[in-house]
Amino acid sequence: MKGFFPVYKRELFSLFVTPTAWALIVVFLVIQGFHFYGLLLHFATSVEVTVDRGPVQAFFGESIIFYLPLVLLCPGITMRLFAEERRSGTIESLMTAPVTTTAIVLGKYFAALTTYAAMWAPTLLYVVVLRKSGAIDWQVVGTSYLGVMLIGGGYLAIGTLMSAMTQSQLVAIVLSALIILGLFVLGIGEFVFEPGILRDVSAHVSVWGQMSEFAKGIVDLRRLVFDGSLIAVPLYITVRAVDAWRWG
Amino acid sequence: MIQVERLSKTYGGPRFAVRDISFRVGRGEVVGFLGPNGAGKSTTLRIIAGFLGATAGKVRIDGHDILDEPLKAREKIGYMPEAAPLYPEMRVSEYLTYRAELKGVRRSDRKAFVARAMEQARVADVQTKLIGQLSKGYRQRVGLADALVSRPPILILDEPTAGLDPNQIRDVRALVRELGREHTILVSTHILPEVEAMCDRAVVIAKGTLVAQGAIEELREMRRSRGIRIRVAEGRSERAAALLRDLAAVEKVEAAADALHVSWKTTLDDVDAAAERAAEALVSAGIGLRELAPVKASLEEVFAELTTASEANVVADAAEGAAA
Repeated sequence: MKGFFPVYKRELFSLFVTPTAWALIVVFLVIQGFHFYGLLLHFATSVEVTVDRGPVQAFFGESIIFYLPLVLLCPGITMRLFAEERRSGTIESLMTAPVTTTAIVLGKYFAALTTYAAMWAPTLLYVVVLRKSGAIDWQVVGTSYLGVMLIGGGYLAIGTLMSAMTQSQLVAIVLSALIILGLFVLGIGEFVFEPGILRDVSAHVSVWGQMSEFAKGIVDLRRLVFDGSLIAVPLYITVRAVDAWRWG
Repeated sequence: MIQVERLSKTYGGPRFAVRDISFRVGRGEVVGFLGPNGAGKSTTLRIIAGFLGATAGKVRIDGHDILDEPLKAREKIGYMPEAAPLYPEMRVSEYLTYRAELKGVRRSDRKAFVARAMEQARVADVQTKLIGQLSKGYRQRVGLADALVSRPPILILDEPTAGLDPNQIRDVRALVRELGREHTILVSTHILPEVEAMCDRAVVIAKGTLVAQGAIEELREMRRSRGIRIRVAEGRSERAAALLRDLAAVEKVEAAADALHVSWKTTLDDVDAAAERAAEALVSAGIGLRELAPVKASLEEVFAELTTASEANVVADAAEGAAA
């Protein structure tokens, strides 16, 4: 793993010194701010609030506004990782340094993941706000954020792979957004298809189903395995793809 | 230090970018890697630096095979890619510190190594500037500082003078000569005089194959003057041409727009003496001699000669002798 930290640090530096990360975080927080505001209005006027259907559960588990920004924002974080290095030629300096390809890929991926975590961090304030008006189930908060990181981690891994497939950031963001959207839509199939294998598959890959479970504090091992593969498989392919450039 | 054995590279198609190239660079040597554009210079250097994989053949860096021990081999090399690609959003010192860390320079040494590299490449005065704001000349030198920063024993420089103005070219050549005292250097160029200015030895490739290698003197010999260009006072070129044709050394005289082109006989040994005699003849005949310049072979002509010679296996034998 020689070279992981310098690559990680430089990638973070680059994300935050060019306005990319800030722009994405601002867009994200504006959307989630309105999202949270809307939920609060809803719960403030609703008569019945049951234990497992409070604002936290709704925020993480039941609203489409939770996912839609991720479809574009995750690819937005990852689009430049490799595409830009290949376009500008800096990939040549990077790959002739005495570092392993795995270190390069993971360094870049974890920089994206850190940015993603930074994007979510301010939403912890919502929990603080909620705490002023009622009790908070901390386990639910914990599993919700775990779900957020796992799903985002998978999306970012897909974005990293797509960024390694092209020299154009635009192609990278479009391809990864399409794949992520495809996964999301496939998950919706859980509510569309008749019972059968198709519906089982849909239920298995459904981020929606996963988040509504996590937002109730339920962590299913199958979900963890799926998320783990969604992170590990694209990253493994990325390492192989980057290595394959040498033989192009 | 660098051993290249029977290296070949294709980019998928049937055409070889590089075909069956072998050469060695010994410790402390400064070797010029010479060839016209598109000859396969960058491809070869990229393979040696570990950026590209070879289709066939072996590369060893200080005994480490570039495929079997890639990290050990790459550690020994400071590579400057063509056009020195850099991150525009970083400051010069930030970039070099990052590169030093990436190349495994220990934390306690980093500051000193970066400072020394900036001083050697003469970029210390712009160290707080953003790379994106630097001129081409400075960027090129930052690329050079990058190659130097981990103090590797071997430097591989791909066209370090490309796109620079004459002053910057002179600076970079001087720098390479200076670095040659501490490093083994393989430097590519398509400019013949540049190799003569910087290197002890040259490896010449054309169309992906090695056509010659040897000491700089041999190259110089190929470039020796084959004739002179003469300009005389107006209206007297006819007489001058007649006079020159009578000289023993002259093969032929051609009249161009404003000057006469005199070619020496190919058997001629001392071209300088011949030029002297031509000048004497013209001056003593009272023809106003205005200009006399040796005509040197252009790179294209030398390459043409080398390629034909290698087909006749003449230079190939010489190359073997030089490699041994």
